[in-house]
Amino acid sequence: MENPNRREVMPTLALRSLFSHKSIIRILAILAICVIFLLPIYRLIMLSFTSDGNLTFANYTTILQDAATWQVMKNTLIVVAGSTVISLIIGVSLAWLVAYTDIRAKRVMQLFIVLPFVIPSYITTLAWTQFLGTDGLYMKLASLLPFSVEPINLYSLAGIIFVLGLSHYPLVYLLTVSVFGKIPRELELASRASGAKRWTTFRKVNVPLAMPGIVSGGFLAFLANLDNFGIPAFLGIPAQINVLSTYIYQQVVGFGPSAFARAATFSVLLGMVALIGTAIQWLFLRKSKRLETTIEDKQPRYFLGKRKWLIELIIWLFFSLTGVVPLISMGMTSLITAYGVDFSLQTISLENYQFILNTSSKAKEALGNSAMLAGVTAVIGIVIGTAIAYLRVRKPNFLSKFTEVSIGLPYALPGTVMALSMIFAWMEPVPGWNPGIYGSIMILFIAYITRFLILQVRGSITAIMQVDLSMEEAAHVSGAKGWSKWRKILLPLLFPGVLTGAFLVFLSALTELTVSSLLWSSNSETIGVVIFGFEQAGYTTYSTAFSSLIVMLIILGFTILYLAQSYWNRKVGKRT
Amino acid sequence: MSKIKFSFLLISILTIFTLLAGCGQTQEGNASSVSGELNFYTSQPDADAEKLISAFNEQYTDVNVTVYRSGTEEVISKVQAEKQAGEVQADVLLVADAVTFESLKKQDMLLEYKSSEAEQIPDSFVDSDGMYTGTKVMSTALVVNKEKVSEMPTSWKVLTDEGSSGQVVMPSPLYSGAAAYNLGVLTRHDDFDWEFYENIQANEPMITQGNGDVLKAVANGEKSYGMVVDFIVARAEADGSPVKLVYPDEGVPVITEPIGIMNNTDNQPAAKAFVDFVLSQEGQELAAEIGYTPIREDVSAPEGLKTIEEMNVLDADINELYQNRELDKEQFNQLFGE
Repeated sequence: MENPNRREVMPTLALRSLFSHKSIIRILAILAICVIFLLPIYRLIMLSFTSDGNLTFANYTTILQDAATWQVMKNTLIVVAGSTVISLIIGVSLAWLVAYTDIRAKRVMQLFIVLPFVIPSYITTLAWTQFLGTDGLYMKLASLLPFSVEPINLYSLAGIIFVLGLSHYPLVYLLTVSVFGKIPRELELASRASGAKRWTTFRKVNVPLAMPGIVSGGFLAFLANLDNFGIPAFLGIPAQINVLSTYIYQQVVGFGPSAFARAATFSVLLGMVALIGTAIQWLFLRKSKRLETTIEDKQPRYFLGKRKWLIELIIWLFFSLTGVVPLISMGMTSLITAYGVDFSLQTISLENYQFILNTSSKAKEALGNSAMLAGVTAVIGIVIGTAIAYLRVRKPNFLSKFTEVSIGLPYALPGTVMALSMIFAWMEPVPGWNPGIYGSIMILFIAYITRFLILQVRGSITAIMQVDLSMEEAAHVSGAKGWSKWRKILLPLLFPGVLTGAFLVFLSALTELTVSSLLWSSNSETIGVVIFGFEQAGYTTYSTAFSSLIVMLIILGFTILYLAQSYWNRKVGKRT
Repeated sequence: MSKIKFSFLLISILTIFTLLAGCGQTQEGNASSVSGELNFYTSQPDADAEKLISAFNEQYTDVNVTVYRSGTEEVISKVQAEKQAGEVQADVLLVADAVTFESLKKQDMLLEYKSSEAEQIPDSFVDSDGMYTGTKVMSTALVVNKEKVSEMPTSWKVLTDEGSSGQVVMPSPLYSGAAAYNLGVLTRHDDFDWEFYENIQANEPMITQGNGDVLKAVANGEKSYGMVVDFIVARAEADGSPVKLVYPDEGVPVITEPIGIMNNTDNQPAAKAFVDFVLSQEGQELAAEIGYTPIREDVSAPEGLKTIEEMNVLDADINELYQNRELDKEQFNQLFGE
């Protein structure tokens, strides 16, 4: 392994080639990061040290002395650790199968893998509780068996872990799959030729080389599991199990002047948990190696032979259970005239869709708003997030690490708290000056960028870590400098990984709920706000119709893409 | 995944959504003494708030009402955050219960306004200092799944019966304002007291975040009995859901979704006109049409719901409820937090 410090002079060239006034840029960048990412967090931390207008540790001493706090912390750690492990196992296994084996219908699989990210989590949990409930399909099937089967209780720690893990494995999958593809098969062959068994080869060659992807994905899944409110609220509250995100919300809605300070204190505790996670991922990544090749090798390396159909069957069963069953359950609800009636020919109608598409102007406005918010956030993310990722990988100094941690924190904070701190920070960024950002759609742009930029940064870091420095040096030696180096060498190599990040940002922003629900104002409703509004008002048939519509649009997008790609391939005549 | 695939994906999704992007609309009009911007924060369902505003705009064409809608607790959190950040943006507030308004009143955040329309409203639903006025009557009653239960219960005690074990669902007072109000009222009545909640807990109830979830759990047959606000059950029943609304004999706790004006409003005339409209006969008939029990004595209740005279109201001293709300919640949390 070469010493990265020895080569530290070179990478700055890549950025200097982009911006000539480096120090000005640097100062502006630090300023922007401080204002956008750290100001809300600063206001939050200050609030946690405030009681009756005085600086004090009182909030911490009362909260840390409360036995309930430790119970909540314990629950949180169990839930987050468990669900992250599940996300990792499923995500890495699927990535391995798709990247290396001769399994069929990989593209369609990718669609199913993304689905859990698109379906709102309350729909997923609802579907699971219906499926596993006492009158659900599971018990009906179980009663056919010769032996008796205990009903599964989802309203438990295990239930929360299970549903969270299933909802967030796409993060692991998406950041891992292309990394696997880039590991040169020659390395594996060399290892096998030296007498290593398959498993040893996987453990000693593939895992270490894929570490940047696995750890990035695992870290994002960890943050998502830590922050998620919908699932622990739906499954935990009935069973009286609290985790930090639901407990903080409980404090906030308990209002009264002291509640914000308490909520802020809990949020700081949550931030500490996120920091511990960051430290762990750093430990893992420290030892990771870079790759020499950069081309994704899509040819199968393992032929499953006779076991192929069995593995495919298991995968499709898994997709049916996790993706299709919730979707069908959602689609069925969206077609019935009233919630709770049996699904039959007499009760089916399209009137819920008619309401969404015709009667309700909000739904259309929300579609437009969310599409624009998600699009702009994704584009800004691609540019800024990739620049930050580049600095983080090529110049791993204190400043770039500090930047990465600052950007990660807003993603880990519970949405409600993050939204409240955005109000504190942006209503009067400078005391006495209200720029009108809060109360307009601008606040949502800022909030989404603040919250989701880390997804882009992690996606781009994974991509950049795959490109060995020697590629850049070779470009320099061959005379490519400045913009042409980026255009001809770096961008084409980074493109897939960068777009994975952009894709995550786009989808997350499209269906975002918790932050929007406090920050939206008239004429800036988002999809999540409208769906949740219907849901809260008891109009489940409308909310499911709108959700189904969103899912259909996304599937439509995939289909157009799929057809266009097949057409392109046929015309150009190349194989993928 | 190839780059072409992803770029197509992004582009195609973006295109689809952009094509579907709706058109914003602005209200225009003229001829009225009242005009300008009005920020209305409410916990009413979206569609209902929309109907209210378009009816208001027929009379006051020059007022541009913008709405923020969410659950009561989130609306209040937002108002409190705005207060801490410098300035409350809301002009008019309409949320679940009087106790919530009492807390705003104690923080000196409300404007005194005694609407002349309030004469037709029972005194107990109007704040004596004129800080807020009830806008409708919303009781909490029983919801029963008709397919799972053949004999309709007549008493709250069905929730504590041994036979109902595992079949009870109710909203959590830690999350729902209405549920917190019910907790306060019921535990202050001799017939119920904390014993009532202890006995419910013995039946291993499902505790949901909001009233909507209670209705869902009963409508889809997961549970047989729920404690829930009346109007969502009446609506679901009218739509054909297999649920039945039952007003227990002992009486029902009632919240009134009061309306009030924030004291730093910069459009007092419009705010007052809005409050008058909501309380007027026309505004109340609109509420009844949407499906709420009106608060005025001269407007009748929609089908399936009782009027205020027909209800046997269980209530408690507002001030005492306000003083003890945190303690009540804490005690609930201890009882149910095992």
